Amino acid sequence: MSQWIILVDVDRCIGCKGGCQVACKTENGIALGPSRCTNYTIGPYGDYPDLNMYFLPVMCQQCDQPACVKVCPTGARYKDAASKDAADGVVKIDGGLCVGCQSCIRACPYQANYFNPERKAADKCDLCQARRDRGEQPACVRNCAGECLFFGDIDDPESEVSRRIREAGEGNVHALKEASGCKPNGRFILRNAPWLDMLPHEFSRAALEGGDGHE
Amino acid sequence: MAVISQKDYLESISIGGLTDAAFGSPGFVKLSQAGGGAPEAFSRVVKTACRACIANCGVLATVENGRVVKLEGNPEDPMSRGRMCAKGLSGMQALYHPNRNKYPLKRVGERGGGRWRRVSWGEALGEIAEKLMDTRDKYGAEAVFCSTGGGGNPEIWSIARFCNIFGTPNWFEPGCAQCYLPRVLSYTMMYGGVDPSIADSNALELYFPEDTPIRALVLWGTAPSYSCPASGGRAVNELRARGLKTVVVDPRLTPDAAKSDLWLPIRPGTDVALLLAWTKYIIDHGLYDRDFVLRWTNLPFLVNAETKLLWRHPGVGAPDTFMVWDANAGGAKPMAYPYDEALAPELDGEHLIDGVLYKTGFRLLRESVEAYTLEEAGGICGLEPERIEKAIRIYTDNTPGAIALGVATDQTPNSVQAAMAACAIDLLRGNVEKPGVLMQRFRTSKVLKVPNYPVPVARRMLPPEQLAKRLGGTEFKGLHIWHAGHPSSILDAILTGEPYQPRVWIDRSGNKLAVVAESRRWAEAIGKLDFIVHMHMCPTSFSAYADILLPTEEWLETNMIVETCNTLVARQAAAHLWDTKDETLIWSLLAKECAKRGHEGCAKAFDAEFMGEDLPYWDSMEEFFDHITPAVGMRFREMKEKAPFEYLPKEEWRSYYVYLEEDPGTGLPRGFDTPSRKLEVYLESMITLGRTGLPFSPVPLPPAPREYQPLAYYLEPEESPAKDDAVSREFPLTLTSGRVPFYHHSTLRNIPALREMYPVPEVLLNPVDANRYGIGDGDWIWVESKRGRVRGLCCVTRGIKPGTIFMERFWNPETLNTGTHGWQEMNVNVLTKSTAPFNDVVGTYSLRAFQVKAYKAEEGPPEGVLTKPQDFKSWLPAPAGPTDGKEN
Repeated sequence: MSQWIILVDVDRCIGCKGGCQVACKTENGIALGPSRCTNYTIGPYGDYPDLNMYFLPVMCQQCDQPACVKVCPTGARYKDAASKDAADGVVKIDGGLCVGCQSCIRACPYQANYFNPERKAADKCDLCQARRDRGEQPACVRNCAGECLFFGDIDDPESEVSRRIREAGEGNVHALKEASGCKPNGRFILRNAPWLDMLPHEFSRAALEGGDGHE
Repeated sequence: MAVISQKDYLESISIGGLTDAAFGSPGFVKLSQAGGGAPEAFSRVVKTACRACIANCGVLATVENGRVVKLEGNPEDPMSRGRMCAKGLSGMQALYHPNRNKYPLKRVGERGGGRWRRVSWGEALGEIAEKLMDTRDKYGAEAVFCSTGGGGNPEIWSIARFCNIFGTPNWFEPGCAQCYLPRVLSYTMMYGGVDPSIADSNALELYFPEDTPIRALVLWGTAPSYSCPASGGRAVNELRARGLKTVVVDPRLTPDAAKSDLWLPIRPGTDVALLLAWTKYIIDHGLYDRDFVLRWTNLPFLVNAETKLLWRHPGVGAPDTFMVWDANAGGAKPMAYPYDEALAPELDGEHLIDGVLYKTGFRLLRESVEAYTLEEAGGICGLEPERIEKAIRIYTDNTPGAIALGVATDQTPNSVQAAMAACAIDLLRGNVEKPGVLMQRFRTSKVLKVPNYPVPVARRMLPPEQLAKRLGGTEFKGLHIWHAGHPSSILDAILTGEPYQPRVWIDRSGNKLAVVAESRRWAEAIGKLDFIVHMHMCPTSFSAYADILLPTEEWLETNMIVETCNTLVARQAAAHLWDTKDETLIWSLLAKECAKRGHEGCAKAFDAEFMGEDLPYWDSMEEFFDHITPAVGMRFREMKEKAPFEYLPKEEWRSYYVYLEEDPGTGLPRGFDTPSRKLEVYLESMITLGRTGLPFSPVPLPPAPREYQPLAYYLEPEESPAKDDAVSREFPLTLTSGRVPFYHHSTLRNIPALREMYPVPEVLLNPVDANRYGIGDGDWIWVESKRGRVRGLCCVTRGIKPGTIFMERFWNPETLNTGTHGWQEMNVNVLTKSTAPFNDVVGTYSLRAFQVKAYKAEEGPPEGVLTKPQDFKSWLPAPAGPTDGKEN
């Protein structure tokens, strides 16, 4: 069994958007506008001036029960046990089968898919398949200025990501929006601030309703 | 040669060999994939160094068939360790930007009309030299002035060198007294070593997270996560992960503030009041290193309370011998350098001796901070006194520690005093040259005589009578440390003709009108000038007003020597496009043209024997580098091949306790690089500087109108909410500014990958203020000061101190060819203040901490500005049409 993931040490993300956004776009030739990874600002929250704020690079979470696969009408999107056993656990796209209906874009709770107007097809992070084929790390991990991104096999207890997750301690390791039922495999370490499990639009809504801890 | 409009000129230029960037893809498809019959790509990796900002991070540039196709950080760089930020990673879009300046251009028709003719370098430089020589003959060389600043790819001393050799005392940059010089000056004078600015690639102790014992770091008005993400930002990040305690002093909740142990959201412009309160608290609570202060600072020395000068023991030899009050003898005694164990010098005292009142330096320091209790500072700075105390305790309880002072305090008229006060705190704590602190004199390769920039300024080439004409040089003598003039004095001279009329301006910069204070006054001044030259990689607002435009090289086209800790890195050209030249070479070529036309100084500047260590001018960059790389025993070509390489083993390079090393001449400890060899917390030499210009002016100058002060003092901003006057009532918000990680100074606003992430300047406003002024998150708003108004996009956030407004600097390349020339829509420097009060020592004006008001812009965004990602498509690298030379 292999499940390759990107582990984000959120305490170390300084929100610079260099590796996770610019290097990713250059590496993967992504058009202006969409992004395979988006670095979100979560917060500030807490009581001024004791505020918390963290940065959250979010890419495809390589879910075990991916919403995108569930809604894909053509089978272009797939992640089956066989592929996970055989290879890397990455949710894949068969470009030839994708008809560009964008169901996956609407279904994904992480907003991690986008429509590629060149190929008239959906696209998302594939953990830099081409780089991995050359034995290199994904572009975001390679270039991240804050050294907050780590790449590895979460099913391998000896991998760097497994070791870092162990060392962080259970209470400090989070999966994003598990309530979605997608069983995401991506992991986020956050020790120094309360984990909100939100994306910015949800945070803004919560803030309006007074749910961000602001008195 | 055909006459072309600026629009045509912008559109006519594109490059060959790139595949179609259809749909706005910023990526590059390999040539071998581009179509049938293409040859197999020839690929090589160039080990170079970035210059998208001043951090110089090591880069691996992959070049295929002559085209740069990939950039990655170089793991051999000890400061960035293989990482890069957004600015550097988008370097290919800067290099292959369709709107590069490609050929020298000469204006045709009206100035500002945007019509240009392509000319040769010979014609362009010849015409500039003619104008320079003619101006010099008619009005004196001082009527010519030069400028740099605003980002880009300069070698800063090239400009000062050219001015010295040409004979004009007037060059300036919008940074200088507003950015970094106040810190350089203060730390140089008080300590004699390198200041702890992280963004200027100092604070080198931070780059050894594995074994530095540092336990506390105060980030005072600095945000390394934003200013240098891959080097300083990364290093501080690593140290935080290893348990470093941090305090952040900043009105804005930066990433570093959010990750700190304590955030002090200070009212902009009040930093010195807070620093003085820290000093008082540390003195009152006995938190200073008493033994170190007695032995290694000048605070036990007796000062004449009336003259403010130190009491020297008559005698010969250097350093001077100073008097202390010996508690054993109950009288004043000379303190032999470095320390006389037979004496018991009193640290805090005053004595009437033969009718003259003497106080120890320490007593004067204590008196100068007496008013600044935690409560007083809390009231001035808008902070809870308990919170200030908690911050001080984080710093004093976790040792060793240090204060990293950033640019924030350089941008108000209290600039030099902030640096003096911050330096004094670390010196009182003994945070000097021991492991785990930031004030260090680690070894250097000796390739660079001063950090970062190798070109010798050739100061002796400027005749003393010309030096005396430096605009602002008498009033603001601290500027002489960088041989610079004072921007507002130059501006006033242009506008009034007093004391003389500047006439010719040669500028290299990212966009002068986006970085000087009160751009409108400068735009007015431009109309009074006879001749303007602008050199840069791409057109800027300033280009619109120029008479000649010179195309310069992007960092991926240039060579430079970069010293990074114990490693020498070479920036080396990975590509070359069009008819661009390295700026450092352009000044040399210009000097040669002046020499041809009879300029004696310029002619001598090519004479190797005459120039000696100042080096003769060069015909190529390789020739220049070959003068200086012998310091590491090789020529530049060899250095390029080897770089990056360690010029010293890390252990040898990281030299601690340099002041204790034996001076072979005297057998005594060498001390610090100050006149007394002690740490000059009581900065008597500030008085001397004000009276004479020494030691930075090579010749004595008339006294400054105001005496410079040896100890820091607090200056309330002229426009201030604390004043409750007409200004603060009409303009109730205090403006601050600062970095975002996407741009450096005024550069990169034309880069699609960056503009799509940050298309317009964000204006941060606290919800308390947003509600008060009827502004919502995402609203376009006007920000207005006494000097003008501009628009920005409001971001309502509690991450900014109430009563404070943050606005990012901006200009709009997309409206370059309109009446605004791109600098009037969103440029915070329309709001800033170029007039007095100035800092007494260096003339700093007000880039932050002045008053504005904010209100909703019902009109929405300014006309013609681009806001959506797809809007930037036309700035992506595009396939070339053939350039046959006829059209251009």
